[in-house]
Amino acid sequence: MKKKGLISTCIILAVAIFMAVYTGISFNKKRNFVEDVVTEGSAVTRTEKLSTYNKYLANTFGDVDIYVLEGEEPGGSALILGGTHANEPAGHMAAVIILEQFKPTKGTVYVIPDICKSGLSHNDPLEGTPQYLHFATKEGNTRTFHFGSRASNPIDQWPDPDTYLHTSGDWEPLHLAEGANTTQTLSGSEVRNQNRCYPGIADGTLTERVSYAVTNMIKTLKIDMVVDLHESSPEYAVNNAIVAHERAMEIAGMSAAITLDAEQGIKIKVEPSPVNLRGLTHRELGDYTDTFALLCEVGNPSQGRFRGFTDEELAITGKDPCYKVASEIHEGKLLYVDYSSGDFPLSLRVARHITTVAALIENMGYDYPDKEILIDNVPDYQEMVEADDIGLWLR
Amino acid sequence: MTPYLITFLVMVGVFMFGCFALKWPVGVSMLAAALCGALEGMLAHGKGLGETLKEAARMMVEGEFGYVDTILTIACAMIFMKVIEDSGALDALSSLLIEKFHKVPAVLLILIMFIIMFPGMITGSSTAAVLSAGSIMAPVLLLLGLDNVTAGSIIAMGGLLGMIAPPVNTAALVICAGIDVPYVGFTGPLLLLTFPLAILFVLLLGLPKVKNLDYEKLKPALEKQDATRREYGVKIYIPFFVLVVLMIFFKVIAQRIGVEDIGMPVIFLISAIVGFFTGRKINPLKAVPEAIRTATPVMAILMGVGMFIEIMTATGVRGFIVMTCLEIPEVLWIIACCVSIPLFGAVSSFGACSVLGVPFAYIYGTYLNGNVVVCLAAISLIASVGDMMPPTALAGLFAAQVTNVKQYTKILKKCIVPILILLVWAGFVLVKSKAFSWAVFG
Repeated sequence: MKKKGLISTCIILAVAIFMAVYTGISFNKKRNFVEDVVTEGSAVTRTEKLSTYNKYLANTFGDVDIYVLEGEEPGGSALILGGTHANEPAGHMAAVIILEQFKPTKGTVYVIPDICKSGLSHNDPLEGTPQYLHFATKEGNTRTFHFGSRASNPIDQWPDPDTYLHTSGDWEPLHLAEGANTTQTLSGSEVRNQNRCYPGIADGTLTERVSYAVTNMIKTLKIDMVVDLHESSPEYAVNNAIVAHERAMEIAGMSAAITLDAEQGIKIKVEPSPVNLRGLTHRELGDYTDTFALLCEVGNPSQGRFRGFTDEELAITGKDPCYKVASEIHEGKLLYVDYSSGDFPLSLRVARHITTVAALIENMGYDYPDKEILIDNVPDYQEMVEADDIGLWLR
Repeated sequence: MTPYLITFLVMVGVFMFGCFALKWPVGVSMLAAALCGALEGMLAHGKGLGETLKEAARMMVEGEFGYVDTILTIACAMIFMKVIEDSGALDALSSLLIEKFHKVPAVLLILIMFIIMFPGMITGSSTAAVLSAGSIMAPVLLLLGLDNVTAGSIIAMGGLLGMIAPPVNTAALVICAGIDVPYVGFTGPLLLLTFPLAILFVLLLGLPKVKNLDYEKLKPALEKQDATRREYGVKIYIPFFVLVVLMIFFKVIAQRIGVEDIGMPVIFLISAIVGFFTGRKINPLKAVPEAIRTATPVMAILMGVGMFIEIMTATGVRGFIVMTCLEIPEVLWIIACCVSIPLFGAVSSFGACSVLGVPFAYIYGTYLNGNVVVCLAAISLIASVGDMMPPTALAGLFAAQVTNVKQYTKILKKCIVPILILLVWAGFVLVKSKAFSWAVFG
């Protein structure tokens, strides 16, 4: 009996070691996989490190590149954040395409496509999501990008507290709404959520350090507008929307009603940033800096709770039978995205983001001529939607 | 949707076959079910064998880490429990409480219930409540004359209500994160939902057996406990003080003064280390492995649950379950909510909050125009029942363990009436959430 027990123990141990090594290699590869952002032929004039704006970020996983696209003529400035939530690929991919395609002739556009690099380096346990997305370029090359997690990697900060008490650190508010709180209790795991840690703490957790650097960058460079690119579950009420700080409401409203809806037929809602939902870009960057803080949402079935089989195909095509059923029951009121066609592809989601960013920048110029930014080579919305392949806009 | 139903049936079938026909441990059966579900689901979806094996392996290990924090807490809590048991601290505290409160048994029972709930209230975990305060109060309940099953039932229900009672309700926090609602104003609704039930349940289960408590008759049975108390004096209670002080400091005060939370596992370990020096002599090389051996089946279940949920999600079974619940007519949603969330809690109560709690929160809070805070509080109370559902049944299993009940199902049977009362109360508050808006403050 003892010998039999020993043999089975050895077999189980051997299988466990094999699984640990085999999957460990896969996790390690993902952790260290570097996306190839192509700046050759783009309008990127220089890059900076994010640690320039927070010394505590130097030599950490959060010290990402800032891509600077400078026009010949001075003008306004805008910062585009992608990859805040790495399980929302349209935000990440739109930022990559913006930095590879936009050509400012006036003003400066700063792009950080992987603001939460730590989140890109792993997947959420229990969510069963793919590790990577692949796209073929016009030239026939394959470009590989991360599909990551909503939160920073526990390797970078662990364990989570039971509850996360959000604070604004040493920052002094410039535009705090009357009666607004500056602290808030959140779920413990939100301590690793990049978009709950603004305005950030210089020597705090990695996520707080990254947020601090962004806030400090905006203040130091006096950046006029920040647009944070996201996605949301189709059943989430804030969807296909621009969420705007109260100082940016006019720009958001004009962009949605005229530039997007009237001129291009893109239906998009404008949502006011909730005054007491703390830690988010559209709230904290608007309260603690002079920038116009905006956030864009678009429906993403690959992060929703109703979704069916989850793989790279779902993330890219957006085809999902469960969401199709959800759109047909209870008069379609369960969803905030029109899912009647049975899909909501990445090409459409990225096109919406890129066109919205261009519209917001354009309208800031109309309202504030001294902050005008002029951009050439903005990918055409209809063309992107019809082509249904964002690889064609990757270099 | 049919392919998802087939995968679901494969997973459930393999799990049942492993558990009941092959008599495998629950954790191993869940692993087998997850593996078969992954193979069937991915191959049926047109994936190649190589890709299927690669992705199945990656996802199962990834899922295994889904509850790593809870697993660490359980392991360390079991070490603490073993130490206070072996040091004589449990005996001493039982004797003290009975001596002081034997004249007012109803008050004593309510006090015991609140003590059981306390760790759950500040950690949001029924496991922490049952394994810390539950294990401490178990001997007291038994000495009061309660049978093991009744004592275990009180501890299990205390654990459930403790995890939902304010200030920390992890279940509500999980739903808040899913629908971007700040965790503000929950104190009133959560107090209203939990405290009346706590008093009702402890009196319902315990009072008939302790109302005629005769301390003089009880005294001979307390001889050993009294002797331990006399021998070590106040010193023997130090591990409890350390545990309570560290919990209050790190869970309530620390973040407000900028000190990092060291986490429940370390709090339990520090308290256990203190226990080595405050009572009877303990051999750590014997006590610690014994504690871990006791915790291993539950830790294995949690690892299996993680794999199971990850594969369910990846293969579309999770979406299929959610859609099945939502497809039913509106009038039946409340029944679907009160049945499906606890049933899914058999896999994981926090998983149920994320998978089903969030859609139902949308439905009752937004679609049906309820009071969002009250709705979330009520749904979190419904979700707590998941911690009594087999096979995971964390609250029930640990309550059985601390009261030496061999079959956990006996505790589940005893708790059926309290659970039904809890579900009716939570369902009523959920449906009439607007009428309870006055409770939202803070």
